[in-house]
Amino acid sequence: MSGKFSRKTLWLSVLFALMLLLPQFVTSRFYMDIVIRVLLFSFIGVAWNLMGGYAKQLSLGHAAYFGLGAYTSTMLQINYGISPWIGMIAGGGVAMLASLPIGALCFRLRGPYFTISTIAMAQVLMLLFLKFRDFAWGAEGTTIPNLGDAPWMMQFEEKAAYFYIALALLVVGLVVTWAVERSWMGYYLVALGEDEDAAQAIGVNVPKMKRHIYLISTFLTALAGTFYIQYIYFIDPPTAFSFNISVEAALVSIVGGIGTLWGPVVGTVLLEVTSTLLQSWLGGGHGGVQLTVYSLILMAVILWRPAGLLGLITDVYHRIFGNKQQSEQEAALDG
Amino acid sequence: MADALVIRNLNKSFGGLRAVQDVSFSIPEGETVALIGPNGAGKTTTFSLITGYHRADTGSVMAFGRELVGLEPQDVCAHGLARTFQVARPFGKMTVLANVMTGAFLRDKKHDVAKRKAREVIDFVGLSAHEHAPARDLTTIDQRRLELARALATQPRILLLDEVMAGLNPSETDQAVALIIRLKQRGLTVVVIEHVMRAIMALARHIVVLDHGQKIAEGNPNDVMTNPEVIRAYLGSNYVHAEASGAGQC
Repeated sequence: MSGKFSRKTLWLSVLFALMLLLPQFVTSRFYMDIVIRVLLFSFIGVAWNLMGGYAKQLSLGHAAYFGLGAYTSTMLQINYGISPWIGMIAGGGVAMLASLPIGALCFRLRGPYFTISTIAMAQVLMLLFLKFRDFAWGAEGTTIPNLGDAPWMMQFEEKAAYFYIALALLVVGLVVTWAVERSWMGYYLVALGEDEDAAQAIGVNVPKMKRHIYLISTFLTALAGTFYIQYIYFIDPPTAFSFNISVEAALVSIVGGIGTLWGPVVGTVLLEVTSTLLQSWLGGGHGGVQLTVYSLILMAVILWRPAGLLGLITDVYHRIFGNKQQSEQEAALDG
Repeated sequence: MADALVIRNLNKSFGGLRAVQDVSFSIPEGETVALIGPNGAGKTTTFSLITGYHRADTGSVMAFGRELVGLEPQDVCAHGLARTFQVARPFGKMTVLANVMTGAFLRDKKHDVAKRKAREVIDFVGLSAHEHAPARDLTTIDQRRLELARALATQPRILLLDEVMAGLNPSETDQAVALIIRLKQRGLTVVVIEHVMRAIMALARHIVVLDHGQKIAEGNPNDVMTNPEVIRAYLGSNYVHAEASGAGQC
């Protein structure tokens, strides 16, 4: 057991060291941008996966919290000159507060009805921000004033700085997931995701667990919102509350391996890299070709590996390294 | 001995259907009681009323002196009542160990403690060999064992078993009976819903019979089995007349 553990730790350390050094090797702004997006969407996926994956509450409305995080920090910054670093945490707090009434409404429903209600909530929030112009610039949106190299305002000349922030966010997300998965919470979440009634029969407070994991998940998602807006220097409701964010968060987790620690990361690497590369290779010629190819890849994954690509990767790993033991189970799935 | 469970005038309607009508019975601590009756008699509904899955329209359920009506299922479980379901409902993608640990976390949130307790219970029900198997891969009887283990991991004082013997062959039934007798020896109060006669006879000294949501008889097995009301409920009124005239024997 300890041998397996140390080998795993070794691989993780190597991976982490490589990530830290990555900006030394990747100098192209184009490729750096891809890497940052991969990290960011991995993080959003990880945040979504806590609730959508482990507890199987398939939300397609996480853009609501991405947007609330983004708007909170931007409004604090532009209206009051408060640093987005503080705004980021405040945004997380606002998202958590908003998740309570939204959760109270949506969690009354189960399955597809829950999913639809989360979509509606995110749309309602977007419409509110579109219509109330005096509150937050309405449909025009606003640009973030460029201060040059201003680390305390989360603005940097070099893309490497953004890379490190995104990496730090992802590490936070993974550590939170790892801790949840190993604790009683992870077991309770998987249990209620499998069968709510049976979970209640053994003492799981299902509504409370859903509320708690929703708080954690929405807090993390809001952090991503602040970062993204700071990265692109622009905010408007369709960007901040984009339905694509919600879909992407779910998609990367499902493709990578839903309810697993590394699933969202694996999924994002595949989907984001494929879509960006396809865009640059095929995007110029015939409109829509890259989207067609992207969709075909997506369908292939869902058809052949419905449990996600992570399982495929671990199988290959065990074949290469001759590890005859059953592929490692996540803690909450196996003691 | 004091009563573990006291049920008084329990009523529940679903629309126009009176699923449970004025049902009262009590169960002394440490006793094993069987709840029987034809299909649709209201047995499982009674379980659901006791365990908080349905809320009784009127009436009371007292467990060790505490009122349970109005509590949520998880709170009922925390008060020491654990139930199993008619169709076993394991957490399919979790292993046997993880399933049972989830139950053990109710009393202690520490991972190691839960794991140790879970292993004890898994050993008790005889599932140790399958500890790391995903629950969905188990056979029917093993899924029932798992469900029992998961319920036991919550350290209940009253165990409510909903047809755990259904579909088992005679030797499996005997194993299950032996398991329940061992639970009884540990001082657990057990309520079983059961159709399998050899199991009821082996387990229960006291039987409560429901029909159409009403309690029609209660008492020791021999009295209940010869009660004309019970025979009518199970076999129809013709059979009672036949038996009365000495023509029909069981």
